[in-house]
Amino acid sequence: MQIRKQVAKLGIEHFVDAEPGISHQMMVDRGYARPGELVVGNDSHTVGYGALNVGSTGITRADMLYTLLFGELWFQVPGSIKLVLNGKQPNYPIAKDIILHLAGLYGDDFAQNSSIEFTGSLVPQLSMDSRMCLSTHGVEVAAKFAMFPFDEVTDEYLKDKTDHPYEPIAADADAVYDREIVLNVDEMPFAVAKPHHFGNVFPVSDSAGIKVDQAQIGSCANGRLEDIEIAARMMKGRKVAKGVRFVISPASQMIYLQCIKAGYIETLLEAGVQFVTPGCGICQPKVGYMAEGEVCITATTRNFKGRKGSQKADIYLAGPLTVTAAAVAGRIIDPREVFDEI
Amino acid sequence: MKFDLNQTITGRVWKFGDSVDSDSINPYYIYPDMKDMVHHTLEAFRPEFPKEVKPGDIIVAGRNFGCGSHRPGPVLRVIGIAAILVESASRLFLRNNIALPLPIFIVPGITAIIDDGQTLEVNYNKGIATNVTTGATAAMRKYPAMIEHIFACGGLPQLARERYLKENSTAD
Repeated sequence: MQIRKQVAKLGIEHFVDAEPGISHQMMVDRGYARPGELVVGNDSHTVGYGALNVGSTGITRADMLYTLLFGELWFQVPGSIKLVLNGKQPNYPIAKDIILHLAGLYGDDFAQNSSIEFTGSLVPQLSMDSRMCLSTHGVEVAAKFAMFPFDEVTDEYLKDKTDHPYEPIAADADAVYDREIVLNVDEMPFAVAKPHHFGNVFPVSDSAGIKVDQAQIGSCANGRLEDIEIAARMMKGRKVAKGVRFVISPASQMIYLQCIKAGYIETLLEAGVQFVTPGCGICQPKVGYMAEGEVCITATTRNFKGRKGSQKADIYLAGPLTVTAAAVAGRIIDPREVFDEI
Repeated sequence: MKFDLNQTITGRVWKFGDSVDSDSINPYYIYPDMKDMVHHTLEAFRPEFPKEVKPGDIIVAGRNFGCGSHRPGPVLRVIGIAAILVESASRLFLRNNIALPLPIFIVPGITAIIDDGQTLEVNYNKGIATNVTTGATAAMRKYPAMIEHIFACGGLPQLARERYLKENSTAD
């Protein structure tokens, strides 16, 4: 009530009132974050708009007070990390596997206070959904910014979302980097982060056989169309294993509607999947509370102890394909053993 | 609450490892009220911590302290933590503690010079943290003057208030 009163009093033009969803997806759905801009937000995953060539990052509540009052804020200039992703995009999303794999190799703070710049032969092939997964997870490797170059994919994505002028930014030709990391995704295994932190990553084979009680796809990292599409494609004609709760939460109402129009929801419901209202709940205990001793495999953002309820529950992070495979098998498994078609 | 960076802080150390997440410091998903949260802060890493911590104690931790979600994080101030010294901190946790303010210092090498339960002396003015028992020291990283000023003002909201009043009083 207080917020509505203030919005009316201050004449705030862009106010999303009762519509459920994750703020970060709603920001990009509506074209509120544009290439070349500096955008700050009161949540760590604000860094995700870097997918759209936006310099965006999370700030604190006190920082927001200062920003709203003066239109400026203190920053320490970050060093830059060149992240070269080479290889071929397979016919399923691998963004989650990439960032997990990197966190496993270099640690969950390898980009501490730095700005990540994504480049390499894979980048032009990456969908906007995959880019958003990678940029959103910038904060899971401690980055301040996690930016993609502006290209045809960005241009196409923004076409019907904004008529606001913008000016993309790119690295200088002679830019100096603190560090350069090269990853060939063709040689990368399906990655799974074991409990209880993002950098505790091993190939899926290492966790194979662990029985799961819950499988999830959603959040600001993996609640987008391609994440739900791969689940629908794989679940067609298959069933969720007995005793497993397979929960999917689209990141926004707009994505939910796209899923319905594409027929994904019907396919997934027939397979035994349950849907929950768009929002952040799937990444928290609010949706799919985990009891003591339970195991969850999830394409969401975090696996800290207690993140989904009991501190004695185990949370494994993986990409949407690996999560779907586990939901079908009832245990963690290499997706290639479940899905012959990939 | 203004904080004088030049005062020396001495206290008993609680030592933590790497990547202590903000969910564990602020388990507000499960305990949304501060009166409950004080009994559960950091129990995910050390169950005895919320039971035995005393006002004036110091936290020493490894890399990436406070990683994960953005959380306002006053719980550690509420229980009376006098200072936090870490190898490195998550940038949002660092910003939050500067804004509060709760003295937080980046001290590369700090985990090598002190053990859990020992007494640490923190002298920001000299830029040195000293293990009172062994005499071992580690160099503290200095903040830019602008951030020192946030501490001196008593936090970022107070700095904002002072600036706002200053800029708007002359206009009348």
